[in-house]
Amino acid sequence: MRLRRLIPAGAVAAGFVWMAISVVAQDSMKARLSPVPADQKTRADLAGSGSITSTLAGTKLTINGTFDGLKSPATMAELHNGVAAGVRGPVVAQLTVTKGTGGSISGSADLTPAQLANYKKGGFYVQLYSEKTPEGVLWGWFLK
Amino acid sequence: MRTLRNHLAIALVLVSVCGVLMLTGQQRPAGPYTADQAAAGRTVYQANCAGCHGPDLGGRNDAPQLAGTQFIANWGGRTAGDLINFMQSAMPPGNATLGEQNYINIAAFILDTNGSRAGTQALTAANTVAIRTVATGVVAQVAPGGGAGKQAKQAKQAGKQVAATPRGLTVTGEAKNFTPVTDAMLRNPDPNDWLMIRRDYKANNFSPLNQITAANVNDLRLVWTWAMNNGTNQAAPIVHNGVMFINNPGNIVQALDARTGELIWENRIGETDAGNSQRGLAMFEDKIYVTTGDAHIYALDARTGKNVWDTVIGDRTLTNYSTSSGPIIIKGMVVQGLGGGGCTRYQSEKCFISAYDARTGKLIWKFYTIAKTGEQGGDTWGTLADTFRAGGDTWITGSYDPDLNMTYWGTAQSKPWMRISRGSGNGATLFANSTVALDADSGKLKWYFSHAPGESLDLDEVFERVLVDDNGQKLVFSAGKVGILWKLDRTNGKYLGHKETVFQNVYDAFDPKTGEPHYRNDITEQQFGQWIQSCPTSEGGHNWHAMTYNQPTNQIIIPVAQSCQEMNAQKVEFVEGGGNGGGAARRFFEMPGTNGNVGKVAAYDVRTLKENWKMEQHSPFMTAVLSTAGGVAFVGDMDRMFRAVDVKTGKVLWETRLGTSVQGFPMTFSVNGKQYLAVTTGLGGGSPRMVPSVLDPDVHYPNYGAQLYVFALPDRR
Repeated sequence: MRLRRLIPAGAVAAGFVWMAISVVAQDSMKARLSPVPADQKTRADLAGSGSITSTLAGTKLTINGTFDGLKSPATMAELHNGVAAGVRGPVVAQLTVTKGTGGSISGSADLTPAQLANYKKGGFYVQLYSEKTPEGVLWGWFLK
Repeated sequence: MRTLRNHLAIALVLVSVCGVLMLTGQQRPAGPYTADQAAAGRTVYQANCAGCHGPDLGGRNDAPQLAGTQFIANWGGRTAGDLINFMQSAMPPGNATLGEQNYINIAAFILDTNGSRAGTQALTAANTVAIRTVATGVVAQVAPGGGAGKQAKQAKQAGKQVAATPRGLTVTGEAKNFTPVTDAMLRNPDPNDWLMIRRDYKANNFSPLNQITAANVNDLRLVWTWAMNNGTNQAAPIVHNGVMFINNPGNIVQALDARTGELIWENRIGETDAGNSQRGLAMFEDKIYVTTGDAHIYALDARTGKNVWDTVIGDRTLTNYSTSSGPIIIKGMVVQGLGGGGCTRYQSEKCFISAYDARTGKLIWKFYTIAKTGEQGGDTWGTLADTFRAGGDTWITGSYDPDLNMTYWGTAQSKPWMRISRGSGNGATLFANSTVALDADSGKLKWYFSHAPGESLDLDEVFERVLVDDNGQKLVFSAGKVGILWKLDRTNGKYLGHKETVFQNVYDAFDPKTGEPHYRNDITEQQFGQWIQSCPTSEGGHNWHAMTYNQPTNQIIIPVAQSCQEMNAQKVEFVEGGGNGGGAARRFFEMPGTNGNVGKVAAYDVRTLKENWKMEQHSPFMTAVLSTAGGVAFVGDMDRMFRAVDVKTGKVLWETRLGTSVQGFPMTFSVNGKQYLAVTTGLGGGSPRMVPSVLDPDVHYPNYGAQLYVFALPDRR
């Protein structure tokens, strides 16, 4: 009888431990979306801001965030693997984005060991595009 | 036979004359503007643009050339209308606008200076004529104080409106209580005085005055103010025995009663009102030493302001030069750096630091900052011919150690900015972007330290060299646009350590013994057409806003900026007389991890280089940091705030908002036992203003309002 009571309690405790370990194993970073490189002439078109969180579980990176204030509707968003923080690099994954001047960005990607190492060094960023800015409107680097 | 020969000779002469006429016609094709427009444009240009682009349109530092082959290379394929529209959307940096007609007139002036010829058709913003079809890039002489080229001169002769300001001694008076400044005074200045830019030979920007303290700074009140001439203003006033000397934009030097603000004398030096204000003034014996934007040194009688001598720096039969730093006086010599056309142009004579007899203006020595083949450092330019080695400007006043008899100068980067444009391979391009320690008597190189070998992203290391004695060591500190605070042994240039004051991604490693940085691979492998990113930017990291050494806390307190950029190299033609002081397109973005805070002031322990405190904000800081024995540091920003902070914590103790951006070199002095605090407001300033105009468009300030403000504590009752 006593054993019957202990088994569910142990299972619940084990569940909590597993959840705690999972949380610890997950690696979260934040990115602040701000205008892509601009000069005095192009800056006026690069309005908007946003905030994105990345969560790493094992090798899977999950992206969730929001943006607003664009001058034209967003068209796409991409996850990039930069050479270093602040240095451009190739696309890792396409993300899902609200086709509006504000909304959400989400998506995920499985990272290779090299990508994983670069992500942890701050080399990953998200870039958002809009109808009026096909070369990009906002970007942001994932940092602790 | 003789007749035939005569006919042939006459025909030959006629053909030659026709050829010359045709050639002249080709050099000066008719442009789509009038002489009146060019003349009016010249006036507007000199008032609003010359501070950054130079009175001769030659470009300065990061402001591109507007007259010459590089301008034609960049703009020749576009129309005059494009040029007008670009200027309207982007110039001047900040949120200011000059009005459409002024932009049109400036465009006319630019065309005129680039070898075009005025016609009867008025220029409009809708013009679709390609610039290359009407302008050659053969630069017309920009006459001092007059118009640009023949058309403007004609307009002036015809009585048309060409601005002219009176030159010479415009207000007479006498500083009756002026006492001669001796060599001993310069070595050990009176606490009440501020005898040179950054106050002393060590460039400490520190005052032993302690009447204004952390406890009472909140009681500061405005005592007097003085409106200054408009233009690029980074003034560093000096004070001796109750008399203040200040250099306004437009080459206007004034002596003021430092206690009351009463004007004593005014001298509008030089032949022109063009040009930015020089940062520093210097004094020795009974003279004030002032430089001008066109690289003259003037010695003025300190009591009366009268001209004593005028020396032209460099050989003007070869090229133009400019200065913006102001001199330092060392053992009766006026030691001055150089910048501008002659430092960026492909020519035989290289950029140099030079020394002149303070009593006569006679040249004593020169030190060339660019090494030629066969000279020390001459093998660091790859296979580049001597003619095409450029840069190494010295646009910040050096410092001096009387005991070691060495003067310390920072040098700017080699030009053009990017190594792929420069053609120098991966060579260090000595002595650009280095600290050079010179024997003060001879100008001979004692040692050098290359901070950024082969620098490629417009990241100068030219700024102030701060001399500190600590723990038995004689140190020299410096920081460049990368924002690295370097600590060297100033007796021999040995590397002792460094600290990254802002995030940087230019270097991925440093040699722990020598400090030599290793560039990111994509920087050294750069190609034309490729955007190269870097943090920080041309704004800095650190820029001309000097740091302070606060002696009581043994800290360096330094203003820095946090921004990133990407650059795209332009091809620069290797022709004698060509060259480019920039040669790259730039775009700017927010520095990762800063939350949009461009401005940062931070304190670093001299011994450990540990960051003791920092203060970050959205608006960039636009003044040097002044610190005092009262435990207070002062700094101003682009958003018009002037603040006092606790040197121990960085906590803001007092703040006031001034008319426009607080810009220049705050300083403090004492008269009749009362301590005063002075600071200027102003505009211009190159990248430190241009980059934030892209990143911080929400920071607004008037596009006028250069002014001097003087504060003090209320009198005790």
